[in-house]
Amino acid sequence: MEVKKICVLGAGVMGHGIAQVCAQAGHEVSLRDIKNEFVEAGIARIKTFLEGSVERKKMTREEANTILQHIRGTTDLRQAAEDADLVIEAIIEDINIKKQVFKELDGICRRDTIFASNTSAQSITEMAMATNRPEKFIGMHWFNPPQLMQGIEVVVHERISKDTLETIVDLCKKLGKIPGICKDSTGFIVNRLLQIWYNEGLNMYDEGISEPQDIDTAYKVGCGFRMGPFELRDMVGLDTGLAITETHYREFMRDQFKPPRCLVMKVKAGELGRKSGRGFYVYEPKS
Amino acid sequence: MGIKTVTIIGRNSLSQAVQQVLTAGHFKVITSDLEQDYTAGAAESEVVLEFLPEDFELKSKVLRNCAAKCSEETILATTTANPWVTRLATKIENPDRFIGLNFVKNPVQEKLLVQIVKGLQTSPRTVENCAQWLEKTGVTPVKLEESPGFIIDRVMAAIVNEAALMYSTKLATIEDIDKMVKVCANWPLGPFEFADTMGIDNVVKVLDSLYEQFGPKYQPCLLLRKMVDAGWLGKKTGRGFYTYS
Repeated sequence: MEVKKICVLGAGVMGHGIAQVCAQAGHEVSLRDIKNEFVEAGIARIKTFLEGSVERKKMTREEANTILQHIRGTTDLRQAAEDADLVIEAIIEDINIKKQVFKELDGICRRDTIFASNTSAQSITEMAMATNRPEKFIGMHWFNPPQLMQGIEVVVHERISKDTLETIVDLCKKLGKIPGICKDSTGFIVNRLLQIWYNEGLNMYDEGISEPQDIDTAYKVGCGFRMGPFELRDMVGLDTGLAITETHYREFMRDQFKPPRCLVMKVKAGELGRKSGRGFYVYEPKS
Repeated sequence: MGIKTVTIIGRNSLSQAVQQVLTAGHFKVITSDLEQDYTAGAAESEVVLEFLPEDFELKSKVLRNCAAKCSEETILATTTANPWVTRLATKIENPDRFIGLNFVKNPVQEKLLVQIVKGLQTSPRTVENCAQWLEKTGVTPVKLEESPGFIIDRVMAAIVNEAALMYSTKLATIEDIDKMVKVCANWPLGPFEFADTMGIDNVVKVLDSLYEQFGPKYQPCLLLRKMVDAGWLGKKTGRGFYTYS
């Protein structure tokens, strides 16, 4: 099936970027959020991004205007989704709210509309089974910022149809993205491997083997990673990171994913990384 | 302490890279092998680095011979990737001046890391002298207490093991796993590319030593063991997770 019209649910960090990428590839896009101010903020962010692209001569003013004309913002779910070929959900990471929205979409969308979720933490299978179209349900996990990050994890499950998978893989390529297919499982590919990458570094610190700065340097100079595990924890936020690690530990019940003591203690102490001025490193306030 | 002369015993691609860096940093480098009287050079040096094959008995014999001819101030160092520093130190006199200096080549850039490995007997002064000297050479030093796999091999082996499990359980293909971590997390190589570069036998060896110390979370994935049995050791045998011509 060919995807023409795309509905993106959620105009936040991920949703607005996804909508922009789809519109840039020539799709008609409806961008829906629950409040008008959220919709407007999302569209304003797209405008800012496009302005920057025009200034840097990455695109012409006309191209930027055409992209914006392809995006229609709304708070009305029916209006946003009724004629969509694909709905991409990028709302809050709450399985019950997500399931509720997909149930509503069942009653709004055509029978052949594909439902995709951008979740990084919830079960694709569980969401698929909450709809009347599990064969047309798929995971489409984008990375932040969607406009710049090339990879998309395409998440499949037992009940998906071959046609749905092919349609979404083709779409990713048409959007200029690189798809990687993965079965539904906590953390998919990237987050799961990142947990190991983080935990080994943090555990070495807990075990008294080395210090954050030495471990970060070893990762960067010895292996070629752009950042070390302590730097990246501080950048992402220790509370956010701990929640993801806990999810992996809970789901897999394997010691590899056990939250390192130093991470747990830092979060308890309110040292959450760059955003709080102190995490594994100390950050000077910007003057 | 002033380090001016360094003796390198043994020769491989890494020892040549280290020699080059030291020479460029205006250090005098004396190279020797086991055919020669390596203790003569060692006696004139402030640092002795052995780059011998990973054979515990051989290393301990050579280091003991050097220790007997050097001043007790001379730093004696092994470049082993094995957690042998504390054990090797028991073979020489004045073990407080004995240390591990494990050099690691960055897989994608022309950079050298050195893991300064402190054995139980190594004195803080020896660690500091090595760190200060190495900082002057253009090699990037990091310090750690001796532990299986040090830093680099430990993290890489753990990542490869998890990725091998993901592939074995048919979660995703080798190509997609490598591709996704590169494009989504900016890794320089995927886990299977790292594995083939490191050597599957080395990955399993590191995991076994981690397993011995830290328990079942490091148990090597069955697939890795079978690959070792099959001789699919990575780039060096032409076949690992990928095939090489």
